[in-house]
This record gives sequence, structure tokens and C-alpha cells, in this order.
Amino acid sequence: MLSKKKTVLLIDDNEVDLKINSKIIEISKLFEEIVLCQSAESGLTYIHQNLNNESLLPDFILLDIQMPDMDGFDFLERYKKLPTQFTDKCLVAILSSTLDFGDIQRAQANPFVIRLLKKPLFLKELKDLLVQYSV
Amino acid sequence: MNTPLVRVLYIDDEENNLHAFKASFRRQYEIYTAISAADGLKILENISIHVILADQKMPGITGVEFFKSITYSFPDPVRILLTGYTDIEALADAINHGDIYRYITKPWNDLELHNSIKNAYDAYKAKIDLRNKVAELEKTNDELNRFIYSISHELRAPLVSVMGIVNLVKMESLFESSGEYWGLIETCSNKLDYYIQKTLQYYKNNKTISEHTPIEFRKLVRELIDLYSYSDKETRFNVTIDQSEPFFGDVFRIEVILGNLISNAIKYQKEGATDKRVDITIAVNPAEAEISISDNGMGILNEHLEKIFTQFFKSKVNHGSGLGLFIVKEALNKINGKIAVSSDLAEGTTFKITIPNAK
Repeated sequence: MLSKKKTVLLIDDNEVDLKINSKIIEISKLFEEIVLCQSAESGLTYIHQNLNNESLLPDFILLDIQMPDMDGFDFLERYKKLPTQFTDKCLVAILSSTLDFGDIQRAQANPFVIRLLKKPLFLKELKDLLVQYSV
Repeated sequence: MNTPLVRVLYIDDEENNLHAFKASFRRQYEIYTAISAADGLKILENISIHVILADQKMPGITGVEFFKSITYSFPDPVRILLTGYTDIEALADAINHGDIYRYITKPWNDLELHNSIKNAYDAYKAKIDLRNKVAELEKTNDELNRFIYSISHELRAPLVSVMGIVNLVKMESLFESSGEYWGLIETCSNKLDYYIQKTLQYYKNNKTISEHTPIEFRKLVRELIDLYSYSDKETRFNVTIDQSEPFFGDVFRIEVILGNLISNAIKYQKEGATDKRVDITIAVNPAEAEISISDNGMGILNEHLEKIFTQFFKSKVNHGSGLGLFIVKEALNKINGKIAVSSDLAEGTTFKITIPNAK
């Protein structure tokens, strides 16, 4: 896997947050490639387009919950139907500003979600998570 | 103010009765008459009637049977049964099945009938008013719920972005670049976020129905300490948890209670103290959990102890929101918990809580 660049996919409808979080990750040098998608649909499209091109596929996805049209939970429904060769290697964490008890419970109960991170994103939390799952 | 016109439908197979009724009451009510149950039904279908009078003895169908037949199609109009016989069976049937408001014998007494119709209309109005009030309350309730949800998202999302930017400014070592301005932005944002979170907690505590799930105090306390000691690494926690029994409770409220108390214990330390300490002891038995949260912080003035649980109480020295302990008390009330506090300006403060085990 040395040839593959470590890639993170950020999915968030909020342009400002997308900018902030990609900048934090850029400074941290935790990933070599940062892919930004402003909707769950475009995130899925990106993955679908590159299913045969492993080098471009993300190793880690940071997913917002509250988004218009397709929200984070809808995304996860579609995500679980993707080929397991991909989903087995990719980890998903939720990154949301939600305080809604139901949303939080639902996110934590989802088998594909390794953690619910709360906005604002703190580098230490992200680092700890990635170390724990050795991404 | 105009008194509302009461719409009365009178069904009787004897035309003379219909005429007599009209003659007596046409000035008081808007009167509709029908010579048969079928005609009465037609009127009901077209006009919103408040009070129905029906004769018991009619060919083909009795008054009670007629009322029974419209139980579901026209539940609102209030029913009065008229009968020439003191027929005990009809009376029993009427009370048991017809949902009948009054039973009046023929020939009627005008004053008695008038009073009955007036009372029947009041009953009709009360029924409709109640239904409107319930609908109104449900709507308000619904709006409030949506409002709470939108506070937690629409209002908080941009604030959290600001906090993220401040965070980024720190990472890029720009925090000191504009004098104290970034620090002030950070303080204000945190304060605003705190208020939003407390407001949400308060509303959710008021509205959410208690749900019982198993609670692991060790895990819960560890998570809460991690969460609230994030900005403060100096405080030492001594946690003793004796939980060999399963404990069932309302996890949302217990989190709110412990979270507020732990965050207070961290926040109200003595300034410049070197040995900041918070002791948390929890003992679970089949009946309840006994929790003690104790700090060696600045303590609470004796004269303030009574007031700390009231809404918006703030002491002059400390800049709290006046919401934290109020919410703790409210949440405990919802789950039948108890709280006691003792404090000493030299020693610090101890909160003792008991929460019933809902096993």
C-alpha cells in the first residue's frame, strides 16, 4: 500500500466548514490527499467514479449529518451497498455540530461509523482516532 | 356582542309538534325541522347543527336508534331526546347507547326545554373549545420542538464554524497576532455556545419523556470528565465507583445532571490553586444510586446556598449563566432524584445526589 497516497474525503454542505476542516488536516499532514465534496451525492459520485482506481479512493471519510436532500444517514444507507473491497478498507467518522440526542444515538449505532466527532474539529481528537484505528 | 345563533334541528313525525316548536322558539334559535330521520340526516349533512332534538317514537326508527346511527358521522351536535312516554327502557337505552345529553318528556314545558337547549349549546361549545385548544396546543408543541431542533442546527452551526476558525488561527500561530482580539472572540463564542447548549438542555428536559436504559456509571463518568476537563488539565479526579448492580435510568437526564456538576467543579476552582481536586463517589444498590461530587474549590457563601438552584441566580464574583444548577434541579425533579449541597469557603463544595434505580 506504500504506493497509494493516504486520502481523506470530506463531505459537508457548509463551505466554510469544508474550508476550515481541510485546512486543519492540511496543516496536520495526516493525509496526503484531501478530497472535498459539498454534498452527499457528489461524495458518492466521487467514490463510484473511482471504484476501479484504487489510488484515488479515500481511506477515511469525515461525514456531516445535516445536509439538504441526502443527509449523512442517507449517505450511509447508500455507502453500505458499495463493494466490500472498498468499504472494508475505508473508515467513516461523523463530524457534526448536532446536539440532538436522537442523531447522536443513531450515528453511534451505525455499524459503519467508528466515531462521532463534534464540530469544531480538534486535531488531537482526530489524531487519537486515526492512531486507534491505525489509518 | 351578538350572542351566537344556536342552530337546532328538531326531528319528529308529528307535524303539529314541529310547528309548535317553531312557534315557541323561532326568535331564540335558528330552527331546522324534519318530519323523518332521513330528512334530519339530509339537514345534518348540509348544515352544521349544534343541538339535535329527536322524538323517541317515530315510524321505522326510534330517536335513540337515530342517535346511535350518527354516533360516528356526526359526533359533535349535542342530543336531546323527547318522548311522550315515561318509558324506562327507552331511557336506559338512551343513557347507555345514545350519548344523550337530556331526556325531556312531552308535552314539554317551554322554559324547561329552552334551558335544556341553552345548556346543551354550552356543552357543545365547551366540547368544541376544548378540541380547538388541544389542536392549538399540539401545534404550539410541535413548533417548539422544531424550534429546538433548529436552534441546535441553524443557530449553532455557524457559531461552531467561528470556533473552528479560532482553532485554526491557533494552529497557524496567529492567535497572538492581533493583540487580545482573537482571545476575546474565543471567549465570546464559547459563552454563546454554552448558552445555546444550556437552553437546549432545559427545553429537552421539559419535553422529553423519561426512558430507562442500563447505565454504566464508570463509562459515563469517564466520558464526562474527558469532555469537561478538555480545557483544564490541572484538576485531579479521584473517582470511586461501586457498581456491581445493574442500574436503569434516564441516560439523557443523568448525563445532564452529572455533566453540569462536573463542569462546575472544574470551573469554580480557587484561582491559582496548585492542588485542584474533584472527588466523585458513586455507590449503586438495587434501590438507588448515591452520588457525591466534591471539590476543594472556592465554595459557596452560606447565604447563597438556598438560591443556587433558582433560575438565573448568579453570584457577583463568578460569571456563570445562572442556568446550570437550575437545570440540574429540574432534571432531578423529572426522575424523582434528590440533591443536597454543603459548602465551606475554605474546604470547597460537596453535592450529594440520589437517583432511584428504575430496574
